[in-house]
Amino acid sequence: MRISKTWSFILFLPFLICFVLFLVVPFAYGLYISFHQWSIFGGNGGFVGFDNYVSILTPGNVYSNAFYNGLKNTLIFVAISVIPLVVISLALALVIDSIPDKLKVFYRTIFFISYAVSVTAVSAIFKWLFTGNGGYVNNVMNTFGLGALNWLNDQPLAWIAILIATVWWTIGFNMILFINALDEVDRNLYEAASLDGANWWQRFSNITFPSIKGVFVFLTIITVIASFNLYGQTLLITAGGPSQSTTSLIMVIQQIVFNQNNLGMASAMSMLMGLVMVLIVAAQYLYTLRKD
Amino acid sequence: MKKLAFFLVILAVLFLTACGGGSGSGETADGKIELTYINGFTGGDGDFMKKITNGFNESQDKYVIKESQEKDHYTKFKTGNYDLVIIHTDLLETYKQDGMIQDISSVMETAGISPDDFHDKAKEQVTFDDGVFAVPLDIHPMTMFYNKKLAPEAPQNYADFASLTQTLQQQDPNLFATGVPSAGLGEWFIMTVAAQNGINLVEDNYMNFAQEELADALMIYNDMIFKDKISPEGLGLDGEFQAFMKQVDEGGSAVQTATALTGPWYYQAVKEAYGDDLGIASVPVIGEQPGVYGAGHTLALPSSVTDEERIAGIAEFLKYMYTPENLINWADSGQAPTHMPTMELVESDAAKYPLSAQNIKQFDSFEGAPKLYQYREQVRYVVENVYPKVVGEANISKETLMSELEKATEQAKQVAETAPQ
Repeated sequence: MRISKTWSFILFLPFLICFVLFLVVPFAYGLYISFHQWSIFGGNGGFVGFDNYVSILTPGNVYSNAFYNGLKNTLIFVAISVIPLVVISLALALVIDSIPDKLKVFYRTIFFISYAVSVTAVSAIFKWLFTGNGGYVNNVMNTFGLGALNWLNDQPLAWIAILIATVWWTIGFNMILFINALDEVDRNLYEAASLDGANWWQRFSNITFPSIKGVFVFLTIITVIASFNLYGQTLLITAGGPSQSTTSLIMVIQQIVFNQNNLGMASAMSMLMGLVMVLIVAAQYLYTLRKD
Repeated sequence: MKKLAFFLVILAVLFLTACGGGSGSGETADGKIELTYINGFTGGDGDFMKKITNGFNESQDKYVIKESQEKDHYTKFKTGNYDLVIIHTDLLETYKQDGMIQDISSVMETAGISPDDFHDKAKEQVTFDDGVFAVPLDIHPMTMFYNKKLAPEAPQNYADFASLTQTLQQQDPNLFATGVPSAGLGEWFIMTVAAQNGINLVEDNYMNFAQEELADALMIYNDMIFKDKISPEGLGLDGEFQAFMKQVDEGGSAVQTATALTGPWYYQAVKEAYGDDLGIASVPVIGEQPGVYGAGHTLALPSSVTDEERIAGIAEFLKYMYTPENLINWADSGQAPTHMPTMELVESDAAKYPLSAQNIKQFDSFEGAPKLYQYREQVRYVVENVYPKVVGEANISKETLMSELEKATEQAKQVAETAPQ
């Protein structure tokens, strides 16, 4: 069926309007604010050029300390979370792909259901599980004669607790996309490989992975972006502690906007954060492209 | 093409309608002037504030208060349009300097309220060189709850704590006298020990933490945990409250404390857990003199409110609220009002208002937050980085502590410099 250009345009229009209203305009406005001294209550206090960026990037002042600490913590989380979030979800998808069709729907739902839970509820559950004084995990460890650990107040335990909470919470989304990708793999290839005597690993590395590589790269990129946006878990489980070691960059930006009322500085930080994300994702993309 | 034009018009109308929003005409259907009041009373105290506003609304045929109780009411206030706002005392200087609130003296005068109607500590917190910038509502100081089964008498000082912990440890090694948390109420613990040691932390316009006296005072908490075992080690966020609420199991890893130095907002929870075994007392003297830190609620007038009729309505509401028979509802929630006629009413029936009456006794030794620009940001480093080290590292040296306190002071100085010129 052919549709007219007018109807094509009408159907495209809602997206265009939303894209402009909720992405282009806020981005341009944020960029504009970042070059101004801008109080959330008092409004525009005047053009300051690159002063906000210089303050953030020059070490030793209160803004740069907060920015670098937040960036360092966020990068730590990205580094420790992306591999488990992608690899475990792929492993789950492979397991579900190999079980009988009747059970697939059940397990797919079970693993995906955690994704539907709000970050507040997830954080409350994991805070209770990992609380040092009489928390569930410590009680279990105590039952097996292992000493109690101060999960939320010592590093690297605090990161481990946040990582486990994040993996439990978000693994279902990646898994579903992997399952869909696995469904698209041509089954005849597996039969041919089996006839040739290929083992599980040979089938995975020569058939499965090359077939789902596009989805794998896409998921790795969106997982990096999602991990950069770490906020709810660290706010609600560890409150940024111990000693600000889980204070993410988004938490820093939020503090500067709503505690210090400094929208100009926070906008500059957001722009820099966006730039770092773009650089990392671009490097990732180019690396994959070159390997291809 | 006509269809496309029609579609675009519909879209534009929808968009403009959505952008319209706003606060409406400010009048109800029956012609009353609607005044918007925002606060953060989302806990048990919210119902008692609602009682006051509902009482006012029922008594009025000219004004109506539309009260919003929001978890993060400061964010809503900054991005919205309100006629009256609850502000914590430690934020008043910042909000004043940022031009978010205005002098409320004339409104108080219209309402027949004077700053002299309030306890001196509360009056001092809202009075500035250029006016009175809020009406005091309450002071909520650090409060001691104790479990009478474990501590028949409330500890009065450090020696009492040490003696109590010895007795409890003989019963069970997981029982302790009190809990010192690493996060949550860190600021309250720091400022309380500073007040009890007579340390003035304010220098010019910033917090000067780099003082040997403060380092020595903070080491009291280190001693309580690692030397005298008054508190268990490793209590995390809100650990003082959680340890007080725990019940030790034989052979279990959980620790329990007989007392909690915490915020009065936990009253409903501890009352439910301990019933008649719950005791409430003033914070013990672990330093050289009585002293307690905490916060306070105040009612402030946003700078955006200029309409005479709305201001008259706010004055009318304040007049109603600051009538002891009405404000006593606030004491009923457990809060301690600073309005002296209401304080007298509370004290005359202390059995009915046990928490409020107890905390009123702490007013004279209360030390509130200093009036500094961005005070919360000035104390952030010491609260989030230095204090956890004091209560988390058994062998922290004074040199290390002083070095950290100097960093905290440097951060505070830089934050102070961001004040509007």
